[in-house]
Amino acid sequence: MIYVLLADDDEDDRLIFREAFGEIKIKTTVKTVNDGVELMDYLNRNEDELPHILFLDLNMPRKNGLDCLSEIKSINRLKDIPVAIYSTSASEEDIEDTLVKGANIYIKKPNDFGTLKKILEEVITINWQYHTSGLNREAFLLNR
Amino acid sequence: MNLRAMISSNSFVRGILVISLFALIFIFSVTYKHTIALRESTEILIRSYKIQGSLEQLFSCLRDAEIGQRGYLISRDSAFLNPYYSARSKSIEPYMQLDSLITNNPQQQDNLDSLWDFINLRFALLAHSLELDNEPDINKSRLDENMVRGDKVMDKIRSQINNMIELESLDFNEHQKDLTHDIYFTPNWTLFLLFFSLLVFVFSFIKINNNLIDLKKTNEYLNVTNESFRHAEDIGNFCSWRWFIDTNKFVFSDNQYRLLGCAPQSFEPTLENFLEFVHPEDRHIITDGVTLALKKAKPTSAFFRVIRNDGELRYFKSVSRLAASNGGKLLIGINSDITEQHISNMALEERNRELELSNKELASFNHIASHDLQEPLRKIQTFVSRITEKESSNLSETGKEYFIKVQSSLIHMRNLIDDLLQFSRATKTEKKFELVDLTLLLENAIQELIQDIEEKKAEINTSQLPVLNVIPFQIQQLFINLIGNALKYSQQHIAPVITINYDVINSDDYPFLKYTDQKKYHRIAVKDNGLGFEQQYAEDIFQLFYRLLPKAEMTGSGIGLSICRKIVENHKGFIFAESNPGIGSTFSVFLP
Repeated sequence: MIYVLLADDDEDDRLIFREAFGEIKIKTTVKTVNDGVELMDYLNRNEDELPHILFLDLNMPRKNGLDCLSEIKSINRLKDIPVAIYSTSASEEDIEDTLVKGANIYIKKPNDFGTLKKILEEVITINWQYHTSGLNREAFLLNR
Repeated sequence: MNLRAMISSNSFVRGILVISLFALIFIFSVTYKHTIALRESTEILIRSYKIQGSLEQLFSCLRDAEIGQRGYLISRDSAFLNPYYSARSKSIEPYMQLDSLITNNPQQQDNLDSLWDFINLRFALLAHSLELDNEPDINKSRLDENMVRGDKVMDKIRSQINNMIELESLDFNEHQKDLTHDIYFTPNWTLFLLFFSLLVFVFSFIKINNNLIDLKKTNEYLNVTNESFRHAEDIGNFCSWRWFIDTNKFVFSDNQYRLLGCAPQSFEPTLENFLEFVHPEDRHIITDGVTLALKKAKPTSAFFRVIRNDGELRYFKSVSRLAASNGGKLLIGINSDITEQHISNMALEERNRELELSNKELASFNHIASHDLQEPLRKIQTFVSRITEKESSNLSETGKEYFIKVQSSLIHMRNLIDDLLQFSRATKTEKKFELVDLTLLLENAIQELIQDIEEKKAEINTSQLPVLNVIPFQIQQLFINLIGNALKYSQQHIAPVITINYDVINSDDYPFLKYTDQKKYHRIAVKDNGLGFEQQYAEDIFQLFYRLLPKAEMTGSGIGLSICRKIVENHKGFIFAESNPGIGSTFSVFLP
């Protein structure tokens, strides 16, 4: 059972995300939080149960995704969680910043439900131990 | 040229004038010397005639005495003895005259002494003859002997006189010869020198005259220049001033006063008096500027406000520079009334700021709009795809058809928003130029389009492109848009053939590049065998939202080529299209 955590302030996106995981073959547990502050609270509270992979939206109120990413990478206990950026925008600036700050993969939210399922399935089946982003931009950006 | 310059120089004229002056002095002194010599020789001639005359007089006295005595001896008439008795005293006068004439000639004096001795001897002999004759018994033989002796002495006297005359004429001839020699040469020399001097004077006169004419011309020209400068000052709203630093004297041009609203030269030109007119807040600009101008040789400029005599506020610009004049330091400057320019400049700046602001607002509006529109659109698309997948069994045929129409509209909208976002990115002025191989960017672009290329079975011919200083992602976008267009507007049933050519061209060969500052341009041409269009639309197609084909036929947003042009303009380049309907189009990009 793979444990997936999503931080996204958009309710519709959280819904679509859950539904997509509900329809893929691999069994997952999906937990969602509503913003960056909640995310950091959650991670700090549940010390024993860290997610196998964290999906992080960038544009969130209170604390945005980029700040969360920096914080996570600075905390020893959390820094090994694979982080997948999950954002509406795919601006060069955002891609560059998150890559430098140590995110593992960048997903631009797809327009199509089928595509979303395909991508999510792909992401959770990656063996993160071997997938080091290694500052490789091509491998970092999953879809355009 | 050098020689001519030397001849026309004033010092040359002065030089030859001095030379000719010396020549004249020389001529005068030579002439004077010769006049003196001539007078001397005349004196010598007169003296020699006088000597000759006196000698002859002396001789004739002697002769008279002799003839008288002889007459008495023959006739015994004592009347014949009168000349004999007077001869002795008569001979004294010519002797004295002779003595005085030859005082400074020792040789002649000796001659005269011996002559005088002979004469005395002759007189003695004559007297002796008379004594012998008076004796009662006349000794005939002794008388004859005495007579013969007297004849001999007479011969000696004659020869002595001839001697003296000869010597005198010899002396005269000698002197005459010297004189003739001198005088023979002198007239030629004098004439030559005279002509030379005359020539020099004529030349100098012409030269000086010409110089005067030149001076007059220069003066006239200077007057005209001065006059036109005065007019220029008037027309151009500027004035000039000079400050002789050593003497602390100022000269203001008339217009300086007029620009300050005063009558020309109506107050003493000093710095203090000028500062009276300067806006109190700006006075330090002048004083600081003057200190600065005095320090460096470069021109310094200052901007300040002036309150004119009538109270009107004017904006002035002053440019001044340190100069040297006759060894003294001089600050020269020009003040211009730039109020009109200043006001229009300020208005222009204000408008520019407004324009910049509205441009910025527009760009950010465009960016935010296209960016923020993505989110709801994505959700609509996702939920529509959910409905058509999950709920299609609950829909009627009409409903399904409608949903297909909704989906195609959504795709169009997405294209529009994507392109708008791209356009706003091309407009945003973050210009990170990098030196990159354009061949690589072209390859990336083709890779992006690989799906379309394969679908349309297109043939792409690429060339080696240069390494240039560009914004990489923009140039890649340019290639994507151009090749994408060629694919999109291909002819049905004909596989697209897209050729990318590269060469370097001379700006002079292209009218639109002629007046740019680049001599050479890189030309990258993307050629296709697609639908093409009428050449008359070649310019219009680069306009935002301009479409040549009706919406239903093609899925263009009308933004793609606008992005291309924006990108090329960001690189200070040019883009042009050439096309033939049914044959194909060529898009040429010129990059510096």
